[in-house]
Amino acid sequence: MGLAAAKNKRKLGNDPNNTKWSRNTDSFGQKILRSQGWQPGEYLGAKDAPHAEWHTEANTTHIRVVLKDDTLGLGAKRNNGDECTGLDAFQHLLGRLNGKSDETLEAEQKVREDVKLSLYMERKFGTIRFVKGGWLVGDQVKETPDDEIEKAQNGSASEAQMSSADVSEDSEPAAVKSKKRKADQDTDREDDKARKKEKKSKKRKTDAETDVDIEGGKKKKDKKSKRRRTESEEGDEKSTESPDEVDGCFEAKRAKKEKKKDKKDKKEKKEKRRKDKEASESGVETGDSISKEKKRRKKDATAETSPAPTPAESSMPTPSGSGYSTPVPTSSRYLARSRFIAQKKLAFADSAALNQIFMIKS
Amino acid sequence: MADSNKNLKRSSAEREGTQDYKRMKTNGDGDAMDAKPNPYLAHLDEDFSSPLDDFERHKTTALQASKAEDSDNNPWTGRPHSQQYFKILKTRRDLPVQKQRQEFLDAYHSTQILVFVGETGSGKTTQIPQYVLYDELPHQTGKLIACTQPRRVAAMSVAQRVADELDVNLGEEVGYSIRFENRTGPKTLLKYMTDGQLLREAMHDHDMSRYGCIILDEAHERTLATDILMALLKQIAERRKDLKIIVMSATLDAQKFQTYFFEAPLLAVPGRTHPVEIFYTPEPERDYVEAAVRTVLQIHASEPEGDVLLFLTGEEEIEDACRRISLEVDDMIRESDAGPMTVYPLYGTLPPHQQQRIFDKAPDALRKGGRPGRKCIVATNIAETSLTIDGIVYVVDPGFSKQKIYNPRTRVESLLVSPISKASAQQRAGRAGRTRPGKCFRLYTENAFKKELIEQTYPEILRSNLANTVLELKKLGVEDLVHFDLMDPPAPETMMRALEELNYLACLDDDGELTTLGGMASEFPLDPALAVMLISAPEFYCSNEILSITSLLSVPQIWVRPNNARKRADEMKQQFAHPDGDHLTLLNAYHAYKGAEQSGEDVKKWCHEHFLSFRHLSSADNVRAQLKRIMETHGIELVSTPFQNKEYYTNIRRALLAGFFMQVAMRESANSKVYKTVKDDQLVMIHPGTVVTSPYDWVVYNEFVLTTKQYVRTVTNIRPEWLLEIAPNYYDVDTFEKGEIKSALTRITEKIRRRQAMKGGR
Repeated sequence: MGLAAAKNKRKLGNDPNNTKWSRNTDSFGQKILRSQGWQPGEYLGAKDAPHAEWHTEANTTHIRVVLKDDTLGLGAKRNNGDECTGLDAFQHLLGRLNGKSDETLEAEQKVREDVKLSLYMERKFGTIRFVKGGWLVGDQVKETPDDEIEKAQNGSASEAQMSSADVSEDSEPAAVKSKKRKADQDTDREDDKARKKEKKSKKRKTDAETDVDIEGGKKKKDKKSKRRRTESEEGDEKSTESPDEVDGCFEAKRAKKEKKKDKKDKKEKKEKRRKDKEASESGVETGDSISKEKKRRKKDATAETSPAPTPAESSMPTPSGSGYSTPVPTSSRYLARSRFIAQKKLAFADSAALNQIFMIKS
Repeated sequence: MADSNKNLKRSSAEREGTQDYKRMKTNGDGDAMDAKPNPYLAHLDEDFSSPLDDFERHKTTALQASKAEDSDNNPWTGRPHSQQYFKILKTRRDLPVQKQRQEFLDAYHSTQILVFVGETGSGKTTQIPQYVLYDELPHQTGKLIACTQPRRVAAMSVAQRVADELDVNLGEEVGYSIRFENRTGPKTLLKYMTDGQLLREAMHDHDMSRYGCIILDEAHERTLATDILMALLKQIAERRKDLKIIVMSATLDAQKFQTYFFEAPLLAVPGRTHPVEIFYTPEPERDYVEAAVRTVLQIHASEPEGDVLLFLTGEEEIEDACRRISLEVDDMIRESDAGPMTVYPLYGTLPPHQQQRIFDKAPDALRKGGRPGRKCIVATNIAETSLTIDGIVYVVDPGFSKQKIYNPRTRVESLLVSPISKASAQQRAGRAGRTRPGKCFRLYTENAFKKELIEQTYPEILRSNLANTVLELKKLGVEDLVHFDLMDPPAPETMMRALEELNYLACLDDDGELTTLGGMASEFPLDPALAVMLISAPEFYCSNEILSITSLLSVPQIWVRPNNARKRADEMKQQFAHPDGDHLTLLNAYHAYKGAEQSGEDVKKWCHEHFLSFRHLSSADNVRAQLKRIMETHGIELVSTPFQNKEYYTNIRRALLAGFFMQVAMRESANSKVYKTVKDDQLVMIHPGTVVTSPYDWVVYNEFVLTTKQYVRTVTNIRPEWLLEIAPNYYDVDTFEKGEIKSALTRITEKIRRRQAMKGGR
């Protein structure tokens, strides 16, 4: 907490816990309790009660309270912003010194790296949205994999969306798989577009025969590979999974002039920016309709906890680490600028536009 | 019109009250009554052939019972069944619990104490008591079946429902009894009641001899009264082997209940719930309110149809979130094709008609074929257990709630935002799966869920001031407080503090035995301090006024202060303000209210204009009538000082001290706003809601709370001389620690002595 942080002055009495009273051993209350056979340090209640195994500290002394006068979320720490950095590198060593086994250390390390990577990706490019396309079973595309039909019935729209942020871990891992849902309705997107997309996704279902089913093993693997998000990694994934699931669920042509609502703004912009960027870079999205859900779990340091939960297949513990999942306010100042740059880049990539700018008649 | 209504209500309240009194009387000689056949039930022996004739108590089967239920005539009344009955019967047969009726009966026959676990939606609250009814056959034995509920509303509404299901009139075969209302009759066989009510009955009937079977419902909520009842029933079960006990709970801690009740057998019935998918955030949230609002909006934007339930902690937070969500949704609709969403707040102090609105249907799509509308309810943890709202598919849980926790050392009651428990989080999530598979969005990490949340919410007994409880226990004949077998024994310090307070109030003598005053105080459904104040009020010639003040302090705040009219509300309050303090201001408002009522004004309108809560004032009126009756039965005089007498208000202020001499604070220094509580030396401020403006040196306060700061609420100016005179025991200067308070008190003692010496000298 720096000098600028809110000061919280509080006047305390000489004895805020009133230990004077609690140390007084000849109060009336103590006298009565002792006369009935109580000794300091004992529980009240039946002697040798069989249910005593459930007793907690609250049965021995009053419940301690903490005055919470902010809206900091559960588990968040106030000084998160300027916590000692660079410790990551030593976590391995520190963990070993603390007697953790190599496997757990590996896992923790991996989690940390995943978080870092996804944070990076999110900050740099934003997230990308995919649309549910069904499961390839044998050579037919089905709505759900057989074993999960029941669970999956609860979705109704056939569009899935990539959600930023939401690395919603789920406690029941595979249960969730084929959650279909409407695309995140963003203020920027008009409805007909959305509906078109829906149609598209349906169509895709029929013509996405190309999808290769790699269900079983892949699922497990993807559990681990959540939040993977660099191009190279995507490439990786593709190569290990199915080379031919290149389909058009990438919505490259997102509306450019999105009007933002303040809240969602940030996220949206980021998304757009990223999209623009990707469009300019590759023009082809690599998302595959099967594994998109997993890929989707890139997270986003800034995005709110997105309720567009991707089926959460990870039972991995949430990485503890840096950052909040609500946007860090400071990053917003770069938004306008980066958007501007993105637009410029896009313009440069588009020869027609360039020609127009330089007033070249072709 | 309103006036006559009012009178009607009052007279009916009085009638019920008398019943109450009679019932208490009969309780006393309940044993004698049980010996001979119950004359009130004689009509059942008349010779219509009842399907129950060949039933043998504790040997019935589910088949027999369902045959009896199917018959044309009602086995309980002899009247033919209505059409409605068969309709309801059909739906009843679909309840999950019905499938296990035989299993239940077998278990019930095999044991004295049964732990029954049924998830929400299993139908246990309505069905199990009826199954027991068909097996226990109370019309033969004359012993009733009692089913306790933690909440008054639940007791009333469930009793009505079961009366409908059995095709009988509420108040006859099926009735209910809650603190200020008793709807049972001589024919009553099955009685729903609040747990507190059963406890009060037990004070006069230590063996609960009126009952053949006692069902403790919602035991997992662990209210103070339920906890004490459990310990009590454990004792009674040893003495009365014929008494059957069923403890009904939600799944989570059933094992604890089993262990507690001598390894009682367990019967579990699955509920009718759908799976709920749980989502955590990857990282902790910086601002949980902000995150909650966004999550709701995102659900609205991207999730299929279904209503949203958001849990927040307090009134202000909820109203604020509601406003923000509504604004954003309006924007969303303007900018794109979002569906409509209505947002409802829900918290305890909200007037009932507004609470009722949460059951309204979600709005329709804006145009045909458009996106469906939904409703969003922003609630405190009242929606966690107390209320079931159908149609909820999405739950947003930031992981906090406000909890009342009492600290026996400083005697402060804190009402603070704190993390919920795991059990509570699961309960919240479960709310999403009532109608179809749902989703729960937790605004914290899975790690936080595992590591930062406690397993179970602390039961009330660990969080409360136990003065009242100890008094009740004494009255219930519990001598050994140390080894009283509670499921969760309270901290020894809490118990000590309660004993000490009761001793100073002279409710317990120096050996810890109940005094006459204590016995009388326990008759009042009030905190001991209030009860003692009421009982000693005639000595100060103002028992009428103290009675009014007591009733006003036993209901929620009567002052209404809407956000959009705070200033006017404060001005109105100033009209009633008495310079000496809040207690007297309350009294003024009450007198004005009664005056308006008598002059035939439309009281509701009058209250609205004066920013007073009609609901709470009229319930204070009701409480007053109840308390008055108790006072009359105990021969406590109702007197007043004439209003013209200049001692009128002084007497009242002195009378306040008779109960609240332990809740006094002295100003720390001149010009300071900080006060110090007597003996505990805690620094406090006067709550900003007070009317007291001039800084008095000594005040008596009604509550000491910790919210954002340590506050004393509802304060009145007093003179320190009175303290020495009214509570010489407590204000024995020698027992005080060195400090400002001690020196102030010494000065005053000196002054009094000198004055007396002067008088003697003359």
